[in-house]
Amino acid sequence: MSNSISFHPDSSLLVEFSAGSLEVAPSICVSAHLHFCRKCRVEMLRLDQVGSEIMDTMEPAAIDDGLLDSVMAKIDSPALAPSEKTISKNIEGFPASISILMKDVESALTWRSISSSLEISQFETGQSDFEVALHKIEAGGKVPKHDHEGSEYTVVLKGSFSDENAVYREGDFLFRQPGDVHQPMGAQNGECICLSALSAPIKISHPLGFLMKPWLRINPM
Amino acid sequence: MLKKKFEFVDRQIENPSRGAILNLAEKRSDQWSLLLVTVGETRDRQAFAKLFKHFGPLLKSFAQASRHEGWIPGLGDDLVQEVMIKVWNKAAGYNPEKASATTWIYTVARNCRIDMLRRKSNTQHLPLESEDYWHEPDEDTPVSLLSQKHREEKIQFSLSKLPREQGEILRKVYLEGKSHAEASQELGLPLGTVKSRVRLALQKMQILVAPEFQDEFSHE
Repeated sequence: MSNSISFHPDSSLLVEFSAGSLEVAPSICVSAHLHFCRKCRVEMLRLDQVGSEIMDTMEPAAIDDGLLDSVMAKIDSPALAPSEKTISKNIEGFPASISILMKDVESALTWRSISSSLEISQFETGQSDFEVALHKIEAGGKVPKHDHEGSEYTVVLKGSFSDENAVYREGDFLFRQPGDVHQPMGAQNGECICLSALSAPIKISHPLGFLMKPWLRINPM
Repeated sequence: MLKKKFEFVDRQIENPSRGAILNLAEKRSDQWSLLLVTVGETRDRQAFAKLFKHFGPLLKSFAQASRHEGWIPGLGDDLVQEVMIKVWNKAAGYNPEKASATTWIYTVARNCRIDMLRRKSNTQHLPLESEDYWHEPDEDTPVSLLSQKHREEKIQFSLSKLPREQGEILRKVYLEGKSHAEASQELGLPLGTVKSRVRLALQKMQILVAPEFQDEFSHE
C-alpha cells in the first residue's frame, strides 16, 4: 500500500461502485463514505453520467412488440401500484444503509467484546466473502497491535481514532491489506464507531470454516 | 433511425400544455427528461410508451452486454420489464434538475441488474437492495444545472475521444460488469495498468474533483 493516505476510496473503487460491479460488502463501505463526503458524491454523479452515456451510445437491440403490451398490462395491475416503502429514519446521522442493517437485527445490536477497549457487532449481509461489522473503540482505548489476514475496508461513522500514520475522523475511508500492521487508538473525547468489511482469510469453504470466525483476530505482536 | 425518433418526439412536445413543463423545458430541454416528468406528473401512458420505445432497446442492449457470472441472455427482456415498471412507479420522484432521464434510468437499470443477479445467486436473506445505497444527488449541490448540462456534454464528447484502450476498459467495467481485476485478467494486463488507464480516462473526462477544489467539497 502506498504511503500517502487519502481518506477516500480510490477512483477504481468508485468506478466499480458506479458500474455496479463492486461486491456487496465494499459497496456498503463506499456508500457509507459517500454519505459523509460531498467530493466523492460529486464524482459519483459524474461517473453515473459516464455509465449512462456508455449505455446511451449502444446499438439499440430489437425488442418484441409484445414486451410493451406486457409492461402496459403490468402497470395497470393494482398489485403493482407503487409500494410505499417505509423510509426509515437514519440512526444518529448514520448512512441509510447502515440504519437498515442495524434495524434488520431483530433485537438490539449485540456487542461482543474482543479486547478491553474493542467491541464488535456483526451484520448479516447475505453474503459470505466478507465479515461486515461495527467496531466500537472506547474513548482513549488502545487496540492491541495487529495484522490482517484479509483486506479490510473501514469507514469512521462516529468519533475518531488514530494510529501510527494519521487521525481518522467521521466519514474517512481506509483500506488495509494483509501485512499492514497497525495499532488503532480511540480519541480521548468519546467512543469511536467504525464500519468494517473484512475479507475472508480463506476463500474456499474449509470443513472447519465455522471455527475460523470471527475473522478479526487480535494477536498481540 | 435514432435521429428520426428525436424529431418525432420534438414535434410532440413543442406545445407543452402545462406551465410546469414549460418552466422545466427552459431548464432541461432534452425530450426524454421532459417525457419522464410528464409521466411522473400526469401518469401519461403515451409519454411512457415513448420512453419505452427509446429506452427499451437500449436497456436490452445493456442487459445483453452483461458478462456477469450467472447472467443468462434470456434475462434481457426481464430487465427491460423490471426497469420500465420501476420507471413508471418512481417517475413522480424524478427531479430533472438533478439528473437527466438517461442518467436516472441508467442508475435504475444498474441497480435492477445487481438485484436480479443477487436474487438468482443467493437464496439467503438479503437485507439490502442496491437502491438502499444509492444516494440521490444533493439538495444543495452548488453545481448549477447549466454547468451540469455542460458537464454531461463534455463527458459525451470526451468519452468519444478517448484512446481505444481506455474506452475499452470503461466499457468492460460498465457494460460487462467486470471488476478491474477481472478486466486485467481478460486483457492480459497488470492490474496497475488497468487502474492507471481508468484513471487517465477519468482525468481526461474531468470526472475527478481537482485537488485545489477538494477542500470545498470535503466532509460537511
